[in-house]
Amino acid sequence: MLLFGIDLDYLAFGVLFCVGLYMVVAKSNLIKKVLGLNVMQTAVFALLVTSGMIDGADPPVRTEATSAPFANPLPQAMVLTGIVVAVALTAVALALIVQIHADYGTIEVDELKEAP
Amino acid sequence: MTWGDALPWLVALPWTGAVLTRALGARGPRMAGGLAWAFLIATAALAVGPVTEVARHGAFSYAVGGWAAPYGVELRFDHFSAWVLPLTLLFVLVVPFSFRYLEGTLPLERQAPFYALLLLNAGAMIGFTISADLFNLFVFMEVVSLSSYALVAIAGRGLAAWAALKYLLIGGVASTLMLLGVTFVFVLTGSLNLADVSARFAAGVDAAPAATAIALLATSFLVKAALFPLHVWLPDAHAIAPSPVSAVLSGMVVKIGVVGLIRLYQLAYGSSAFEMAGLNTLLVWAGAIAIVTGAFLAMVQNDIKLMLAYSTISNVGYIVMGLALASPYAAIGGVVHVFNHALIKVTLFLAAGALIHHTGFRTLTDLRGVARAMPYTSAAMAIGAISIVGLPPTAGFVCKWYIALGAFQAGQAGFGLALVFGALLIFVYYVRLLNALYFKPAVHAAVRDASEVPWSMRAPMLLAALACLVMGVLGGVPLSFVEPAVLDMLPAWGP
Repeated sequence: MLLFGIDLDYLAFGVLFCVGLYMVVAKSNLIKKVLGLNVMQTAVFALLVTSGMIDGADPPVRTEATSAPFANPLPQAMVLTGIVVAVALTAVALALIVQIHADYGTIEVDELKEAP
Repeated sequence: MTWGDALPWLVALPWTGAVLTRALGARGPRMAGGLAWAFLIATAALAVGPVTEVARHGAFSYAVGGWAAPYGVELRFDHFSAWVLPLTLLFVLVVPFSFRYLEGTLPLERQAPFYALLLLNAGAMIGFTISADLFNLFVFMEVVSLSSYALVAIAGRGLAAWAALKYLLIGGVASTLMLLGVTFVFVLTGSLNLADVSARFAAGVDAAPAATAIALLATSFLVKAALFPLHVWLPDAHAIAPSPVSAVLSGMVVKIGVVGLIRLYQLAYGSSAFEMAGLNTLLVWAGAIAIVTGAFLAMVQNDIKLMLAYSTISNVGYIVMGLALASPYAAIGGVVHVFNHALIKVTLFLAAGALIHHTGFRTLTDLRGVARAMPYTSAAMAIGAISIVGLPPTAGFVCKWYIALGAFQAGQAGFGLALVFGALLIFVYYVRLLNALYFKPAVHAAVRDASEVPWSMRAPMLLAALACLVMGVLGGVPLSFVEPAVLDMLPAWGP
């Protein structure tokens, strides 16, 4: 589906990516920053996973019922790995935020900057 | 059985070590440290084979799972890998230094995770240097980064966690950009294997998306390398981390970005779809600005670890400028500096760590006169500082000489001047350091009465300092690895 000559799903990924980037840069709350990072990553995963789609293709499993063209299964494997990386990143980030909160009592960047 | 079959073990060995260190480390920190050291030495010993093989017969590959490239994942050991791989061997010096350093610095229950993270970091770094697959580069870069974030935060409380989180957020955005770049490349060419992508680029691709992909990948690598305007995360993270970790971060982890950049040049090799010249102009300027700004900021610091952190920014500037000048001498100098700078920074950070650990002070004003009490540590620090300035006959001289020659060779003598100017600024900082350590009277009783560090800390930094001198005298040895690789690659660097 096209909107202003651009594929609508590509447009959606672009918007999602920018929303995430905006959250990372502009939000003061650390949790929101981490969420923004996750939104960015999700946008990239969505773009990557659609690249394996081929119109009218069968699932890439060879049986009597399926025939070429097959959808490309590789992007899904990559996205799966990417999700694992993203989860690990989020886990480390949240652990650090817990430590920051325990020591400073706040997770707002502007308040952290004033902290001694 | 060929040396190719040894390649996966270069990654698997440290990672096995990481798991074992974490599992068995509960029996005591000595057990954890010893195990980590043993695994790193085994990895280093194993690495000798592939390196000599490359020197004799050139690059070779391993197809993971028996699936041949370009469809399978390929591990490739070329001249660049052979030159960058020894970076990870510096871990062999860092681990024994940590044995005593961690006593009293790190709670007992965190020591086994510390060694496990170091091993994870080393294995991933080796993986990054030998990987010939774009997606694998992404995964290895993430493992390096994640273990680095954790290592920055491991010793301190809130302040360290805050520095680590800043590092994580910027690093996280950078890796997302890299994955986006990888996605673009994959959609454009349908391949992830570096050589295959390069061939398909050369066969002709759409210029705009290809250039976007290159730009995304380059930005991501330059954030990881902390090139000047993208360096904001570095000083805090490197200064707050425990000193052995600072040595690893400053010496090795930032080089991931530089190695990535070299792989990017290999990717663009032979393609007419886009000119690398534009990127080169940008990088040469960014590099020159980084050299001068980094050196200036290093000069005005009083905290020795912050000083060293800013000097890393300056030196990344040297490396990037050398690569981007794209003349044979400059590129060779830049690639040689990737390893030599790591060696120098390990010397300096280990010596700084020893000073801080034994006196409890970390600023130049407080550390005055420490050379009398700690002569070995101060000597290592002084040799490291001479090398970072680039005075002959040290490791730093060879690279900077080559980069300066390369600037003239490229007909851009102005950048040679930037290099000399940066070196002068660092020289000022070196004189300040030497003056404070050797020629000022001690202001604190703790500094005057400090005892020299134990041999387990002294030997690694003295060995590293010795290596700085040896690499200066034997400056020709690295050229046998670097020269053929660089000269093969140079057309891709652009005019």
